[in-house]
Amino acid sequence: MTARQEALWAVLLWPCLLSTSFLLECTDQDQVIHPYCLSISQDKLLDRVMQHVELIFRVSEESCSLFEDIFVPFPLRLQRNQEAYACFTKAIPIPNSIGEVQQMSDKWLLHSVLMLVQSWIEPLVYLQTTLDHYDGAPEMLLNKTKWMSDKLISLEHGVVVLIKKMLNEGLLTTSFSDQGLFRYDMQTDMVESVMRDYILLSCFKKDSHKMAVFLKLLKCRHTDNANCA
Amino acid sequence: MAAASSPSFGLLLFLLTSWLSSPGSAFVSDWHHITPSAPVEPHFTKCTSQDQATFSCWWSPGSFHNLSDPGALRVFYKKRIVDAPTENEWKECPEYFHSRRECFFDRNHTSIWTPYCLQLRSRDNVTYFNTDDCFSVENIVRPDPPVALNWTCLNVSPSGLTYDIMVTWEPPASADVRMGWMSIVYEVQYREKNSTTWETMEVQLQPETEQTIYGLHVDKVYEVHIRCRMKAFTKFGDFSESVFVQVSRSPNKDAFSLLTLVIVLGVVAAVILIMWVVVSQQHRLMVILLPPVPAPKIKGVDPELLKKGKLDELNFILSGGGLVGGPTYSPDFYQDEPWVEFIEVDVKDPDTGEKEDNQASDTERLLGGSQSSGHRDGCSTAFSFPDDGGDSERPYASNDPDEDGAVLTSTLLPGQPDDREASLYVDSEQIERPPAHSQSGVPQTWVTTDFYAQVSNVMPFGGVVLSPGQQLRTQEGGPASNEDAKKGKKDCEEEKKQKERQFQLLDLEPDGDSSTPPYCSMPDESCQPSEPRPNEAYQSPYVSPDSPQAQLFAPVADYTVVQELDSQRSVLLDPPPVQSAPLCLSQHPLKSLPAMPVGYVTPDLQGTFSP
Repeated sequence: MTARQEALWAVLLWPCLLSTSFLLECTDQDQVIHPYCLSISQDKLLDRVMQHVELIFRVSEESCSLFEDIFVPFPLRLQRNQEAYACFTKAIPIPNSIGEVQQMSDKWLLHSVLMLVQSWIEPLVYLQTTLDHYDGAPEMLLNKTKWMSDKLISLEHGVVVLIKKMLNEGLLTTSFSDQGLFRYDMQTDMVESVMRDYILLSCFKKDSHKMAVFLKLLKCRHTDNANCA
Repeated sequence: MAAASSPSFGLLLFLLTSWLSSPGSAFVSDWHHITPSAPVEPHFTKCTSQDQATFSCWWSPGSFHNLSDPGALRVFYKKRIVDAPTENEWKECPEYFHSRRECFFDRNHTSIWTPYCLQLRSRDNVTYFNTDDCFSVENIVRPDPPVALNWTCLNVSPSGLTYDIMVTWEPPASADVRMGWMSIVYEVQYREKNSTTWETMEVQLQPETEQTIYGLHVDKVYEVHIRCRMKAFTKFGDFSESVFVQVSRSPNKDAFSLLTLVIVLGVVAAVILIMWVVVSQQHRLMVILLPPVPAPKIKGVDPELLKKGKLDELNFILSGGGLVGGPTYSPDFYQDEPWVEFIEVDVKDPDTGEKEDNQASDTERLLGGSQSSGHRDGCSTAFSFPDDGGDSERPYASNDPDEDGAVLTSTLLPGQPDDREASLYVDSEQIERPPAHSQSGVPQTWVTTDFYAQVSNVMPFGGVVLSPGQQLRTQEGGPASNEDAKKGKKDCEEEKKQKERQFQLLDLEPDGDSSTPPYCSMPDESCQPSEPRPNEAYQSPYVSPDSPQAQLFAPVADYTVVQELDSQRSVLLDPPPVQSAPLCLSQHPLKSLPAMPVGYVTPDLQGTFSP
């Protein structure tokens, strides 16, 4: 077909494209939440996002324990709380005490969640590659890591849509992960590599816990505002 | 990656750090490593949070008793936020409880998701610090025990021995579950009061604040308590107060169970009684339930002779061979079976009664007039007609058709051509008695006569119309008069049905004339009431030795006309008659000859016949 004919087809068919995009029904919880999927209700979307985060949190806890049991000897297990191994996301300005969290606005809560999600997409991909290099990494661990990585991407979409619905904001164009918080260098030392990955997993567990708490607070505010302190 | 080196590195590090670590690090993890012999320096024994909003730490002076005074040791903490310089200093505990040696961090001083490190300092600035004593608050949360633990009885099993309960509770007041600050999962434990081991149930299903316990025993006391922890974390809080669960057996249930017990025992006893009765009376019951099928039994004749293969002897005996005199030839064989009914072969005086006269004449007719007297004289025994033997006939009057059939078939013996025996087979229908053996001096002309033939009618001109056993079974009319018996007809439909059931003595001709009824093919014709001429009432083939065109009248299944006998005593049979025309009264019975089996043909002899 000539270019003119193709253009003609595109012109004629664009209403169909538009209508199909609006007809997209976000019913499957596991499917990637399409950015253009706007037909879902806000409450349902919030519930779905919350479930996503809870699930990711649970899987991250399982992955962390699994990694700890297999690769980390006993004496090194407490080092995750030490200074040298602080999480890289500490740079993100998110309040940590209950008092401050309760005073956070919805917008701040949602943006915090979005920032956390976006900043963890890349490190999880990295984690997959390093885990493949370990000898004796169980299949389950690799599967869980892969699963978390995939879910995080769909979670990002969901939070974006949620922000758009709740806050009536436009789609965010800048991704927080561009700021390059996460730096990694290839460690040749095995122990160091193990420790770094260990810290990475525990930090991810912590941050997913944080996200879960934030979203629960958001949910509480939208269902029963009076008792949410 | 140096995979091989990782285990060695790990081992080395393990050894190093285990040497360096102090006992004080035990409280953060659940893993102990105590050297009691070495002097224990001041350390933290426990740090916990109940609501993830505040936390407390307790310390101990260890073996340094001079530091046990309140205020001798001070607690300093530091939040490990590297990039926040103001936080990077050691700060003193915000609130002391010296009596308990506790340092309490309130909400303003508590940060979640932030590592804390604590250290103890004495007055003279001796620092007791372990790098392992760092933690994040969410990792040390141990929720308070749940409150308002209660139980309700859900149901009781039908047996009344077990029941189910629903245990309900509420989250602890300190845990802000509603807000979502803490997600809590519960664990229920229960045990019998005097037991030492607990049954554990992790509450999985929604709602999270209730749990069903199944299968508790009635009249036992159970103890139930509960604890909780943060979801995805491992540290449980303390157990709640125990509640005691007991359900006593209801008296209603007692009565009910007693009743059921009585009923069950009664049923069992009844069953046992019935079985005992059956076993003890089994012989009698067997007779009642399964009456023995009378095998062919001829009074005075050894039943052994009636078995297969002994036809010669039987014929000999029945023909009077070897014995002169009465019907009793030999000692009774059936003394022990009083219910045995016999085929009686009696010697009858032909002049006893008009019926007998009739019968005599019939007999004459049957045998051919000129020969009747000779027949009579030559016989040591003769047919006795039913009216004579009221006694003889009665035993058979109530026979069921099957028995008749059996008796009947047994009485059909192969003829002994040398003996020249002819058997007259009296129609049971007419005469109300089973066929009897006849010992008749069959004239020699009767080459083809056989031992039995079913007489269905006696023609006025003296011929006997014989039918191939059509009326064998029918005894439903009961004993009747001779004339009635002769004339009487059973229900044609019944007969036809019984025809089907006849024992197929001869199946010599494959020709399918089995559809030909012995009577008129027109049902109505054959079912008519007694004919004006009783002798003509029967449509039975009439054996005539003179008739060359003996036709096989009867259904092939029953009879086949025996034309003559071979020298080898095999019966030559005629082809069955193909005519299906009703042999009605109008017809000359001579046209239709019966299939007269000579003697008694057993099934296995059928094969020897050549058609």
